[in-house]
Amino acid sequence: MSPSEPLISVPAIDDLRRDRSGHLVGRTVLDRSAKWLLPLLYLVAIGPILSLVYWISVRAVPTLSWHVLTTNPSGEAGGLYAPLMGSLAIILLATAVAVAFGFLGGLATAEYLSDRAAETVRVSANVFAGTPAIILGLFGYFALVEYLGWGPSLAAASVTLGIFMTPYVFRATDLAYASIPRHIREAAVGSGARPVQYLLRIATPIAFPQVLTGIFLAMAIGVGETAPLVLTTNQYSLPPTGLFSKAGALPLDIWGAYQNPLPGIVTAAFQSAFLLLVIVVGLNVIVRVVAVRSRRRLEGLYR
Amino acid sequence: MSSSPVPQASGDREPLPRLLRLRAGVARGWPYAPAAIPIVLTLVVVLTLVDASHLQNFGWSFFSFNTGAYGIGVFVLGSFLTSVPALALAMAIGLGVAISSTTYLPRWLSGWLDPFVDLLAGIPSIIYGLWGWLILAPFLASNVYAWSTVHLAWIPGLEPITSAPASPAANGAGLASGIVILTLMILPITTLLMRDALQSVPRDLWESGLALGATRWEVSRRVAIPYAKRGILGAAFLGFGRAIGETVAVAMVIGQAAVVPTNAYAHTTTMASYIISTFQTALEPGVVGRTTLHFLAELGLVLLAITLLVNLAGRWMIRRTFANVAGL
Repeated sequence: MSPSEPLISVPAIDDLRRDRSGHLVGRTVLDRSAKWLLPLLYLVAIGPILSLVYWISVRAVPTLSWHVLTTNPSGEAGGLYAPLMGSLAIILLATAVAVAFGFLGGLATAEYLSDRAAETVRVSANVFAGTPAIILGLFGYFALVEYLGWGPSLAAASVTLGIFMTPYVFRATDLAYASIPRHIREAAVGSGARPVQYLLRIATPIAFPQVLTGIFLAMAIGVGETAPLVLTTNQYSLPPTGLFSKAGALPLDIWGAYQNPLPGIVTAAFQSAFLLLVIVVGLNVIVRVVAVRSRRRLEGLYR
Repeated sequence: MSSSPVPQASGDREPLPRLLRLRAGVARGWPYAPAAIPIVLTLVVVLTLVDASHLQNFGWSFFSFNTGAYGIGVFVLGSFLTSVPALALAMAIGLGVAISSTTYLPRWLSGWLDPFVDLLAGIPSIIYGLWGWLILAPFLASNVYAWSTVHLAWIPGLEPITSAPASPAANGAGLASGIVILTLMILPITTLLMRDALQSVPRDLWESGLALGATRWEVSRRVAIPYAKRGILGAAFLGFGRAIGETVAVAMVIGQAAVVPTNAYAHTTTMASYIISTFQTALEPGVVGRTTLHFLAELGLVLLAITLLVNLAGRWMIRRTFANVAGL
């Protein structure tokens, strides 16, 4: 938004930057130093991620093989099949929960609520999104594992994680439907569309890519979450067999390695971290591609 | 005055006339119901924790530093000792990055760099934890702490520890490493929010400032930052909410000792990381029965109360920023 170059360059203004003898004046020196020094702070922001990606790749890639991915962990020799399947099952079920809650909630808020009520709901959704994952973990343990008697299980972990992911899906859905240009709604209502027709035939095709982006983003956030899982399921050496069976997960492997740092387990933790990194970055790239494409497609609507 | 670009914040649009609002044809009431989901979920979580804590009465010692008598002092102190310095660092660095992104860097360069910063916000905290535990903390111990215990020992809190627990897994673990990892983890979110706030400064103001002969630094300092200050404050609140709730990454580098740290390298703990690392032991039936579990639930409630307040304040600030812009 803000200009990176001065918009006007008149001799008079350039003159202000130098004193009589042609030296740069103090405030210009300040400006120049800021120009060259402040961007160095990007190194602090981006440097760690480079180190992180480098070290995790260095520790994980040489030991990673198809064999590791397809065997179950046993003792210190870590296979990744069970935690990988566990993570997959948990994230799919959790996404289903988050979409059920978040999509319906967001749709109702954007399309059916008065503006004042919608604002209240949005604030509460945003505040809920700021709830630490560990709190959701405590909720999952006390409400699902104990009170409902599900035990440490796939179901308890998925529902807890799903609730954690709900506000992200909610926000994306709400924003997608609420930002449909008004003239489209006017045209639909004006040509006699019923609410259901407007929703299904007009609003949903426009809003869908943005909702999808939100769902992928929620998955990217959910798949690496550890705290809710530690409290609602356990590390487990077999893939989950049913809703109420135990289910391991990639993040649990890493947390387990911290609790019990044997060399083989730490190696498995680096492999898990590498897989998680690939999944998370992959989901984020998908999000970006979908977002850019849908924005291009939507630009036509605003003309 | 010409209309300035208004960001697409949800609160800014003028309300739809009644005719254009959807009213379901099926039944009057039901489409409204799912909108209550966020509120209901928040309430359910709060009530579950209240119920789980059994409102166990730990007496006044609950607010003390006596861990043996279930005092929360150590944990609350640990949380603030890590979050506040981390927030200060993340705000300072983040503001620098946000200013260079909006003011100094050419568009193509910031267009390449900023998505990287945004991507950082999505890296799971367990990965930061693993990296912090095995790579960053040992690196800091052998390079930074080894130097600072010699040359910065005159600063209170930075003198060397005399009785350090010498476990190899705890290499470099402690308060300082906790602060560093937390800074790195909340840096992307504070940067992102401050960049948004600075980008919402109308172009008119920028151009007027430059036309008056101000340097870009002066326009940033005197015009853009004051204009965006509510958004920047909002970023601080939301960053603080993140920092204080951060669990596994901090747990893996802070050394896990429920004691008040004696200096910057000492082992300590935070509310969130204490909950996760004691939970399994609290489950085992022991002499105290479920008392520890009730205590953890109450600790969770305290943490939840802090984050709810901080997030509400932050959201309110951010909303007001956008309201400012719309009013211009």
